Amino acid sequence: MIPILIAVQNLSWFTDLRSSAYMYPSLLALHLVGISLFGGLILITDLRILGAAMKSFSIAEVIDRTRSFKQIGFVFAAGCGVLLFCSKAEAYYYNPLFRAKVVLFALVAIHAALFKSSIYNRPESIEGNPALMSKARTAAWVSLILWTCILIAGRGIGYISAPFGLHFAGLLHGVTNAL
Amino acid sequence: MAINVEELIFPTLECLHILGFVIAIGTSAVVDFRLLDIGFQSQTPAQLAKDTRFWMLGGLLLSIFAGLGIYSTDPDNYYENWSFLIKMVLLIAAIVFHYTVKKKAASGDTPSGSAKVIAVVSMLLWTSVIFGGIFIPFIAPGLE
Repeated sequence: MIPILIAVQNLSWFTDLRSSAYMYPSLLALHLVGISLFGGLILITDLRILGAAMKSFSIAEVIDRTRSFKQIGFVFAAGCGVLLFCSKAEAYYYNPLFRAKVVLFALVAIHAALFKSSIYNRPESIEGNPALMSKARTAAWVSLILWTCILIAGRGIGYISAPFGLHFAGLLHGVTNAL
Repeated sequence: MAINVEELIFPTLECLHILGFVIAIGTSAVVDFRLLDIGFQSQTPAQLAKDTRFWMLGGLLLSIFAGLGIYSTDPDNYYENWSFLIKMVLLIAAIVFHYTVKKKAASGDTPSGSAKVIAVVSMLLWTSVIFGGIFIPFIAPGLE
């Protein structure tokens, strides 16, 4: 695993990215722009299911109408995130909060597997069906908690400097310079 | 490993700051999409603006108060940081634009004539505020 990560982060594309004064923060800002769009829509959907926002729309309307924007926002934020990861792959790999974020994304996948077919893909049948409504509320609460945890883990990554991060890259750089 | 509570204050403020602007910018984007006629067409812009008003203002206030907390940890350095100063100008512009020009554009039953331009300006303003914030620590290492 580690040799692959080091090979990735040593691609000239990613060495340029991490050493550029503007590229790395710009990508980080775009990551946050994607999160604002995606996170805001997740929040609106969950709050609508819980009856706390967008009350002039039905639950089905909010789920259906936000779907494509959420997909765009997620792909955009995740795309920026993957590039950020690749630029410092080894450091991220050793970062415990990055690992926590990966585990949380696995939980998001489980959340989708549990609720997608019964709730998100058939939203018009939720309202008026008490059993589905209560399941949708559970889905909304779990979603709110998971995405809040992902936000916290994501911000926390920057606070932990990995003990082994980039040491191979630094070593290689030193060797190259010496030669 | 002992947890130092004081060390957690700053990252907690940052998380609240991010949570706040995600709520505000996300709900602002919903109205922008309606003005662009690419979503939520089953309701009038006015109704959509009314539906999101509480969360827009709530997110904005959460973000501003958390931001004031962050600022208070090192006011002199923030004040001398050009990215911070640009961000403040853009933030004020975005807020004023939102509560004057965009509010008016989204007050009718259909988007006003210049609504699409207004929606794009709104999105660009909020995006530029995020850029301004992200660059603060990168141009002055030491400020997170």
